[in-house]
Amino acid sequence: MLAQVLFSGLALGSIYGLVALGFAVIFKATEVFNFSQGMLVVCGAFLAVTAISVLQMPFAMAVAFILVGSTVIGVVIHIFLIQPLSGRPMLAVIMVTIALSMVLRAIIEMIFGPQGRNLTTPLPTGVLMLGDVRISQLHLTAALVSWACMAGFGAFFKLTSVGLLMRATADSHEAAVVSGVNVNVMNRLAWAIGSMLAAIGGVFLGQLQIASTDLENIGLLALPAVVIGGMQSIPGAIVGGLLVGVIEQLAASYISPKSSDIFIYGLLLVILMVRPWGLFGQRELGRV
Amino acid sequence: MNSQNTDSKKFSTKWLWLILAAALACYLPFLLTDRSIFGVRLSNMQLLNLGLTQINLMLIAMLGSLSLNYLTGNAGLISIGHAAFYAVGAMTGAVAGTQWGWPFPLVLVLAGVVGAIAGLIAGLPSLRVRGLYFVLSTFAMHYIVSFSFLEYQFKFFDVVGVPYEPAKLGSFDINTPMRWYFLLLPLVILVYWGLKNTMSTREGRAMMAMRDHELATTSVGADVRILRLKAFAFSSAIASVAGAIYAFYMSNVNAESFGIQFAIQFIAMIIIGGMGSLNGALVGAALWLLLPSIIAGFASQVTESSGAIKFLLVDNRAQFVQVIFGSMVIVLLIFAPGGIVGIGAQIRNRMAANRKQS
Repeated sequence: MLAQVLFSGLALGSIYGLVALGFAVIFKATEVFNFSQGMLVVCGAFLAVTAISVLQMPFAMAVAFILVGSTVIGVVIHIFLIQPLSGRPMLAVIMVTIALSMVLRAIIEMIFGPQGRNLTTPLPTGVLMLGDVRISQLHLTAALVSWACMAGFGAFFKLTSVGLLMRATADSHEAAVVSGVNVNVMNRLAWAIGSMLAAIGGVFLGQLQIASTDLENIGLLALPAVVIGGMQSIPGAIVGGLLVGVIEQLAASYISPKSSDIFIYGLLLVILMVRPWGLFGQRELGRV
Repeated sequence: MNSQNTDSKKFSTKWLWLILAAALACYLPFLLTDRSIFGVRLSNMQLLNLGLTQINLMLIAMLGSLSLNYLTGNAGLISIGHAAFYAVGAMTGAVAGTQWGWPFPLVLVLAGVVGAIAGLIAGLPSLRVRGLYFVLSTFAMHYIVSFSFLEYQFKFFDVVGVPYEPAKLGSFDINTPMRWYFLLLPLVILVYWGLKNTMSTREGRAMMAMRDHELATTSVGADVRILRLKAFAFSSAIASVAGAIYAFYMSNVNAESFGIQFAIQFIAMIIIGGMGSLNGALVGAALWLLLPSIIAGFASQVTESSGAIKFLLVDNRAQFVQVIFGSMVIVLLIFAPGGIVGIGAQIRNRMAANRKQS
């Protein structure tokens, strides 16, 4: 029982970690606390519905469609909503992302109807038995793909020159501008990556459950994940995601399905009080 | 001599406006109940499809937006947990009103006290964390309160929700929209007037100074920690009373009534109306609560037509309203951070400048 719960917790946690990673990339680059990350997850799920159920694309083409679509969404959000608000107070930026998710939710419900849609992909859906543990192949695929994406983006940030420029921009906007980095392009890229990672998470969540706008609430679990892990830290986001996934599954199967929220957000509150910079983050020194 | 003259003129016109507004406010419920003005019948569309129920809900929402505006606009503390205080008030109402059978006014007082205590507790993280981290702590608090509400609801009641007795003042039943209106209107005016006066006291000014520059405020001898807690307790007490009233007005609420959407709507209201302005909070709440019903009124006119208008107004009205509000928030944030009241002030200034020139 415990092993079973831990497996599904880690598998779901990997997806949360992926979404949280996207969130952290956006936050690091543009200092925008993106409350619409949950809705970007939903967008991913519905891009998949569009490509697979509506347009009947072959799977490889559908994947490309989802990745390109989510990139475009991220870039458009940055150009039209985030860039005009740069340098404005925090509430304005937070609220614009909240308003954005209101609009996106309404538009998606207008197009696809308020009920959810079933999402079926050619990904394997069988069950493997490992001793007593039932391992759903879909969970396993989701976890593996998530880890591959995380590793891929980790390598991208560490090894490529664009990754270096992005890290430099996140570190200090002014220094990057002075060195001739086009900061806006870097920020747009960060939004594209954040949106793309959310969309990949959305495809799996949409298939594990059902593609509906209620996936937003699951996508929003990336928020506590990021804060618990440490907002400035990329590994922190992943570990935070795993932790949230495991806590959620443990609470849901041993206590009650509704009680997972209180454990996750309770932990968030404790972390905020004790270690506001998160498990892996760097302590921020206050300016006096 | 001249300036004194204009002053007294200004003074008398101000009173004239106030009396006119009071008369209008007293006449409004009769207009909306009888659907006629001085005996002349009005069509539904001439009344913009508004009923007294919407007006009452608007007045309750105004309590919430006023209190959030006090907290966010004046004290500079952002809270995504304002629905939680509504929930606290509703829970207090259920315990004291439904379970213990306390009279309605006492329940409201208790809701205020419990709300203040809850606000004090919720404000505690503000002693330790700032800015974004504090916003997150209110976000976490929201989920904790709504879980408690859910547990409470399922422990003592059922899945339908928590029922409330009809509200009574002594032996006087508050059972019609008209009676609610005349209970809520003075309450909103009282809160408005109270907050207006609070802002011009020493503490109120210190609070706004804290919003603008914390360190400078500390340096002139104001304890910002105490100020923050006070702002939080005061604001949540009002929100909690509003929550109890909301629960009694709806006569049945459940945990889903106070979701995160409920909290977000108050932030949207004060942004649409104008952050930091009491009138803005009122305008925002009015727009948020009345526009859907006005759009529904238009929708009933266009059932014959087809195409895009029918798609938006009839089939997807709820979503259409959300798109309007969402875009309104976005557009106002980008182009007019002062909200509708800010735009109004700008237009007034420009007109005054033009008048001076001519």
